[in-house]
Amino acid sequence: MTENTHKSPAMFTNLLARRETSVAIILLLLIIFMSFANEFFFTQRNLLNIGRQASVVAIVALGQTLVIIARGIDLSVGSVIGLSAVTGAIVAETTGSQILGIGGALGAGLTAGMFNAILYTRLHINPFIATLGTLSMARGIALLMTGGIPVSFSGWASWLGAGRIATVPVSLALMFLLAALFYFVATRTRAGRNIYATGDNPTAARLAGIDVDKTRVLVFAISGLLAGLGGLILAGNLNSASPDLGRGYELDVIAAVILGGTALSGGRGSIPGVILGALLMALLGNAFVLLGVSSHWQVVTKGLVIILAVGIDGVQRGRED
Amino acid sequence: MKNHRLDINGVTKSFGPVEVLHGVNLSIEPGAVVGLLGENGAGKSTLMNIVSGSLRQDLGSMRLDGQELDLRSSRDGIDLGIRFVHQELSTIGSLSVAENIFLGDYLAGKGGLIDRKQMAKRSKAALAAVGLEGLNPNTIVDTLRPGQQQLIEIAKAVVVQPRLLILDEPTSSLTSVEAAKLFDLVRNLSRDGVSVIFITHKLEEALANCDRIVVLRDGTLVSDEAAVETDKARLIHHMVGKSSVFEWKGSAAKPGARQVSIRGLRDKSHLKPVDLDLDEGEVVALFGLVGAGRTELMETLFGFRKTAAGEVIVGNQKLRLGHVPTSVRNGVTMVPEGRKTRGILPSHSVERNISASSLDRLSHLGVMRSATERSQTHDFAQSLRIKMENTQQVITRLSGGNQQKAVFARAVMVAPRLLLLDEPTHGVDVGAKSEIYEIIHELAAKGMSVIVSSSELPEVFAIADRCVVFSQGELVGSLTRDEMTEDEILNLAFTNH
Repeated sequence: MTENTHKSPAMFTNLLARRETSVAIILLLLIIFMSFANEFFFTQRNLLNIGRQASVVAIVALGQTLVIIARGIDLSVGSVIGLSAVTGAIVAETTGSQILGIGGALGAGLTAGMFNAILYTRLHINPFIATLGTLSMARGIALLMTGGIPVSFSGWASWLGAGRIATVPVSLALMFLLAALFYFVATRTRAGRNIYATGDNPTAARLAGIDVDKTRVLVFAISGLLAGLGGLILAGNLNSASPDLGRGYELDVIAAVILGGTALSGGRGSIPGVILGALLMALLGNAFVLLGVSSHWQVVTKGLVIILAVGIDGVQRGRED
Repeated sequence: MKNHRLDINGVTKSFGPVEVLHGVNLSIEPGAVVGLLGENGAGKSTLMNIVSGSLRQDLGSMRLDGQELDLRSSRDGIDLGIRFVHQELSTIGSLSVAENIFLGDYLAGKGGLIDRKQMAKRSKAALAAVGLEGLNPNTIVDTLRPGQQQLIEIAKAVVVQPRLLILDEPTSSLTSVEAAKLFDLVRNLSRDGVSVIFITHKLEEALANCDRIVVLRDGTLVSDEAAVETDKARLIHHMVGKSSVFEWKGSAAKPGARQVSIRGLRDKSHLKPVDLDLDEGEVVALFGLVGAGRTELMETLFGFRKTAAGEVIVGNQKLRLGHVPTSVRNGVTMVPEGRKTRGILPSHSVERNISASSLDRLSHLGVMRSATERSQTHDFAQSLRIKMENTQQVITRLSGGNQQKAVFARAVMVAPRLLLLDEPTHGVDVGAKSEIYEIIHELAAKGMSVIVSSSELPEVFAIADRCVVFSQGELVGSLTRDEMTEDEILNLAFTNH
């Protein structure tokens, strides 16, 4: 095809215009800078550590990405992490069964996700409000179940949270595995198509015969399920399920999604982007620790990075109203 | 020129490539009541939006009492005494009547606080003028009937005496008593020297209450007559003009091969039960004025709108109503009105816009068959002559007409038995229009039954085997090709007005 010769420069500018690329470049620059700034940074141990820190945010963010692409939002993920961890730990403790403990944690996450979906699609509550309600309820239930005291949670959960395959942390391997699966779902499956169409223009999608409600249920269910998995990993890493686990995680998760180029207005977003976003967040955290900068600055910078990344995008696109 | 309230000279306006007003000239004396008539899409609203300042003309000029008008917003128009009362309600339901009347011009008293007493007092006078003497100005607007809300909009426009008052279909939600009072008000205003432009679809109303009646057709002012010198038939003739520029390609219908039966179908709002049958390859046009119920029927039929009663049979299968995915699976698809808001998926490529309704067929066990998708969407894009670089382009890069053709391709790719088209050529240029008519004919020839909702008569004549006319939510008549004349169709459309 002759047009291929014309295509390559266009493809190159296209690639440059994508948020994934700018996040990747920032990530790379930060890695180069840190390698010179701190001798401990570019060691296998530290890099895998960053990977482990990124993995929970990234795994939960995968579900969140689908939700946001479908023009929803799930604010409840942080609390669902806590609720799932506590549920899993209690189930494992009372039944003595590892597998039931894992099932309990994932089940709690899935239930919370389905609950959000019902609030949204059946009761027509705006997802921002619906999941804000769930955020509070899930945390409250976790506290009630434990009386506020952490429950010990080890066995298979600690393998997920702290185990290694060769030298690679299990949670990091799981992150890459799930990322590959979600990439496939988003780009190659019918469900993926429905998700993008629903978020891009829900009315047009509905008129085209796409089952918009079913799609919304699916994405919220997945988001809940992955928050449950996130809870398992976090609790396993600490060998303990605290009802406070995952507090504030929704910010990191949504930040990773937005950094990765997913538009809050729906219909646009990519899986590689969100993984890069989660890695960047974890890398920043690690850099601050190694450079001995106050963790208070870390909080400020996190916010600044989100505003910058989205701000550049907004200035490029111009106003839309 | 000296004694005119308003002079419009050569006003021209285009939206994108489509010119909707072609050098309109119109002069109005102080105190004149002028009826402005025309079919949907003739350019009435555009012209009035220019006069009131919410749109700007591309060419031409306007004068108000001899002063050159340079309006940058409707605010500028209001400051000069030009008031436009729109057909759609723009009252704010949660505010009181008085607050609505003074919206944007709250009376400030001491220290910049709102002077409620003064506002209430002056609201009462304005309410009395529109025939709402008894209404308490502190009533919350949400609790009032639409007709009363409409009158409040008019009260808002006359609370400070305007120089020019534009009323767009002011009586559509009024009772006859309220309407009579409104016309009393118009006469009083006219006596005080206020000029009134009155847009309406009700011909008798225009004839009885206006001094002059002007008719706009396809963006051109085609007649300007004293009300006493004209009549209903003449006005309809002016509105319709000579017959269509598009040629009818003949019928593809197979008489007797019944494909669609609709029985007693109605929605939960104002649609009256509809019975309608279509044969294979038959193209039925739904004609009616705005609010006639055409879109409601289509959407109910399609399952997008809740059904109150009735049944629909397509092929030999009774449709499960109220669920669009099922309708599509059973061979009914729709090209909705409003390409941008309800048609396209704006961030998607042309290919994915086209395949959106066919994902079932283009996937295996939930996984998309990308190669098939690519080749089939490409074929449909070709057969509908969509002009584009390639199917991977984002759809918003295409012209409006080509975007619309992509939405067409989406609906057609499912190979439906019944294709619903709601104002399929709104906002596309003449060239794309005739192409779309050709496409409709080709689809009918393949055996699809087609229902086209249209508010443009030339379109009806270009494509329809039969014309079904709606008026105020009721199916009032069905005309075969032989019975179809413009006057007859319009007469039916005005049945319930």
